[in-house]
Amino acid sequence: MPIKVESGVKGRLDPPFLFAAGGLLVMGSIAMLSAANPLPYYAQIVTRHSFAVIAGIAALVLGLSFNYQVFQDQAKVVYGLIFALLSAVLVAGSTHKGHRSWFDLPFFSFQPAELARIALILVTAAFLDARARRIREFSTVLLAFGLAAPWMILIVKQPDFSTMLTFIPILIGMLFCAGADIIHLLALMGYGLVTGMMPLLFTYCQVNYPQPTPGTLPYLILQTSRMGTATVVVLVGASLLCLGAWRLSIWLRMQARSVFFIAVPIILAAGMLSGIVINSRLKSYQRNRFVAYVAPQADIQGAAYHVHQSQIAIGSGGLLGKGLFSGTQSQLGFLPERHTDFIYAVVGEEMGFAGTTVILGLYLLLIWRIVTIARTARDRYGYLVCCGLAVMFGFEFVLNVGMCVGLLPVAGIPLPLISYGGSSLVITLWSLGIVANIYSRRYALL
Amino acid sequence: MIQGHQPLHDRLSIMWNLVLWSGVALLIRLFQLQLYQNVEYNELALHNSTQMIYQTAPRGRIYDRNGLALATSQPAFSLIYLPPKVKEKADLKPLAAALSKQLGQDPEALLETLQEAVREQTALRLAENLPRQTYFRLKEIETIYPGIDLIEEARRYYPLGRFASHLIGYMGKIDIQSYKQLKNQGYRVDARIGKLGIEKIFEKVLRGRDGGIRMVVDAQGRLKRRLGSFKWETGSNIHLTIDAAMQSAADEGLRKSLTGRGAVVAIDPRNGAILALSSTPDFEPNQLLSSDPEVVKSAKAGLDWNNRAISGVYPPGSAFKLIVSAAGLNEGRLNTQDTIFCPGYFELGKNIFLCWNHKGHKRVDWWQGLAQSCDVFFYHLGLKVGGDLIERYETAFGLGRKTSIPGFEHWEKSGHLFGPQTRKTAGRGWWEGDSVNLAIGQGELLVTPIQLAVMMSAIANKGTLYRPNYIDRIEYADGRPAYEQKPEKLGTVALKDSTWATLQAGMALVVSSGTGISARISGLDVRGKTGTAQNSGGDDHAWFVAYGARPGEPSAVAVAVLVENGGHGASVAAPIARNIILAAYHLEDKGGRIIPSTGTLSIPIPATPMRAGPGPAVRTL
Repeated sequence: MPIKVESGVKGRLDPPFLFAAGGLLVMGSIAMLSAANPLPYYAQIVTRHSFAVIAGIAALVLGLSFNYQVFQDQAKVVYGLIFALLSAVLVAGSTHKGHRSWFDLPFFSFQPAELARIALILVTAAFLDARARRIREFSTVLLAFGLAAPWMILIVKQPDFSTMLTFIPILIGMLFCAGADIIHLLALMGYGLVTGMMPLLFTYCQVNYPQPTPGTLPYLILQTSRMGTATVVVLVGASLLCLGAWRLSIWLRMQARSVFFIAVPIILAAGMLSGIVINSRLKSYQRNRFVAYVAPQADIQGAAYHVHQSQIAIGSGGLLGKGLFSGTQSQLGFLPERHTDFIYAVVGEEMGFAGTTVILGLYLLLIWRIVTIARTARDRYGYLVCCGLAVMFGFEFVLNVGMCVGLLPVAGIPLPLISYGGSSLVITLWSLGIVANIYSRRYALL
Repeated sequence: MIQGHQPLHDRLSIMWNLVLWSGVALLIRLFQLQLYQNVEYNELALHNSTQMIYQTAPRGRIYDRNGLALATSQPAFSLIYLPPKVKEKADLKPLAAALSKQLGQDPEALLETLQEAVREQTALRLAENLPRQTYFRLKEIETIYPGIDLIEEARRYYPLGRFASHLIGYMGKIDIQSYKQLKNQGYRVDARIGKLGIEKIFEKVLRGRDGGIRMVVDAQGRLKRRLGSFKWETGSNIHLTIDAAMQSAADEGLRKSLTGRGAVVAIDPRNGAILALSSTPDFEPNQLLSSDPEVVKSAKAGLDWNNRAISGVYPPGSAFKLIVSAAGLNEGRLNTQDTIFCPGYFELGKNIFLCWNHKGHKRVDWWQGLAQSCDVFFYHLGLKVGGDLIERYETAFGLGRKTSIPGFEHWEKSGHLFGPQTRKTAGRGWWEGDSVNLAIGQGELLVTPIQLAVMMSAIANKGTLYRPNYIDRIEYADGRPAYEQKPEKLGTVALKDSTWATLQAGMALVVSSGTGISARISGLDVRGKTGTAQNSGGDDHAWFVAYGARPGEPSAVAVAVLVENGGHGASVAAPIARNIILAAYHLEDKGGRIIPSTGTLSIPIPATPMRAGPGPAVRTL
């Protein structure tokens, strides 16, 4: 393969990538400053945001300026540092709205979990690169999760369920891109899916059948959620069913692998049990999000209020929007969390379909460039870091926008680069600096 | 690029496609929300962010026949509460506590109203008719608590206060039943509505149509800015046939009378127009609209809703002797010169009927009998004329039948006829003793004051029974006529001319030298008849029925005065009637001298219709 050596800034930087990042930063700043306008502490927000933009650009330059491979070499140090930070915040962090997630520093507050998201990608990429030869073993999958588990536990302790939630798709996505066995990943996702579906199913039954008649399916399901005899009966029943199916397949001389008939019930049972445990530990506001998703009409003023108002904001924006600072939903306070989680709804209301499409397009461009940079990366580590970041941006973007337009449940995940949040912005731009770094070193020999 | 990554790149492509197609799905959803369903969501956003502030239209005014305002509108301040649009569990208690201090209302009741406003998502009035000093103190609260707004609106005001209150009626808060029936006519849950009398009967005419301002509100219910408005339409004005001076004379006369309970009806015999309609105890309608709940409570506590003028039934007593005389004269059974001897009592079989004058009137003819109201003379006459004939005349003069004064159908009573036919219908017999009782207006005979007023005007105009009416005309707010009242006949009493002449002459004698002398007015031709009606309820009811005229002119006023348990008609009821007749001819009695009246009612009337501020807000659209 002929190697074309380019020199100078043009060859070292990827213009579409920087355009996408810059465009999102500009669009985000405009939307955020408009959305936060009616707030009493607006001046403080403007100052903090300006500071964050400057610091973020500096962080991007920082990410770009030294070889990204240092994170691979020093993965253990990174791992320990993050572990220390996450532990420290539980002890010395300050509490906002019941979450002990922040370090209050002289000029800004810093959220270690934000840093942990990027660090997770850097550390996991190093791990997967090291396990390249044994990538198809199930142990690799388990170890990858095992590595992340202490961080996740520390983050859930804060409690910051939403950030922890983003770890799972990042891990699965990176494992997938690293070449892990699809069967293993499917098993894992099946487990995750069952776990996630359980609270949804229980909530659905609770809302629609407040007083189920004994003997019916909803009654059985609700009984199961109480972790009693019914749970055991369902588990044993499911296992016997699978055993029967196995014997049947042998009797029919089907060419099926026995492992399926062991794995499937184990996955189902494990998913169900952890789902039941999670269901019983849900906080009321989390429960309400489930309710809002499965039955939006149940309480339009309560749990589903946010999503409803967000849809009104976006829908009423029309083609070109109502103009900046002129959205009735955002400026008059009907839209909750308007400068953070629901910023996309403000864009929809004030900049219309044009604004939402531009942000959507810029996001797809950004992710596409990250994916392309992954392909051109000079080493597997760079490739994996880009994959991890692409998955992270993709997941957060789809989940946040999906929530704003009412397609996905409320997860409390902000939209990177657009939502207000100083430490998030700085760290996100730093991670983009790393991507740019990977691009700029695509031909470097070492 | 490193070699051997191809399969991994395929996997990356799968991931990328996943993101890309999710993006496409989101794009489709955005298209659906923002372009396809845009109109629908626009409406929802508008519903969220705007609130209709209704402006109560100034109610139509009520005038007397000379253009004096009896009911008008006055600017006043009301306190309304616009609940927040977001159903945050806002703590309303501090607000209720702060308000209760300023308004002097019970904090519990205030809290309940606030909670209702939040529950129903409508604006509610917390207080109205607020005095100016409270206004400034509340302005302070307005800045602290979102949702509290002070608005200026037109309030009903009765310049004369306690005046014809049973006729004009009063305004009050709409009750829940009426609200349910009327809400599609634009009534709101905190609307004021006519509760009695003309205010109730002509509610639709007086009300007009409310205006509104569309305001932008934020999620806490704070008013932000004005979007647009539509103007209210003032209600129509009603001009009554009531004469304020006569009405005042009637109201005051009754209030100052012995028992303070009674009724007056004065009618123009030429067309049936009611000049005064009074019933006491009356009430002060302004108090019923007060912002102070204590005032309203105490005003309501002593209230007597009974409009005695049309729904009080009483035996007519000696006033009925006019009918008996008319029957006797017209049927030729009475020779005015014939005399009887009154020893002070009358024997019929084993029964003894007393004359009111126990000493007896000695020898009296009809003239003296009527003038002195000799019962014994009429006992004789009653037997001579007979129950059947008397009953026929009683019916002819409209007794026992509602006068059908418009609008008061539900309140008006028909009284009770007394005579052989009525008895027969009821399956009972008639005895001579009944005729004797009937002859002096006792027994089972019951009449309302308005019936006697109609009877009197028929005697004054020689036979025409007009439907009593109190509306002169109705005009739209801009002065265009909406309705004009024409006299309506209920019937005619066809009597011989000589009968009318004799009857009227007899009544003149009653006033000039008989029992009705205290109604005499020099220079005016007053004719009447007293009545002192015995009843089972206590002291006698005092009656005086009369009409007055300038000499040689047709009578312009017929009046019936009743003072419940007042005793003698001559001393209690006749002076009241006299004052009313004086007022009818714009005269007054100054120490026995009759002079043209100088004093008009000195009540300040606002010259121009008031400017209505934003009225109370009620519901979002």
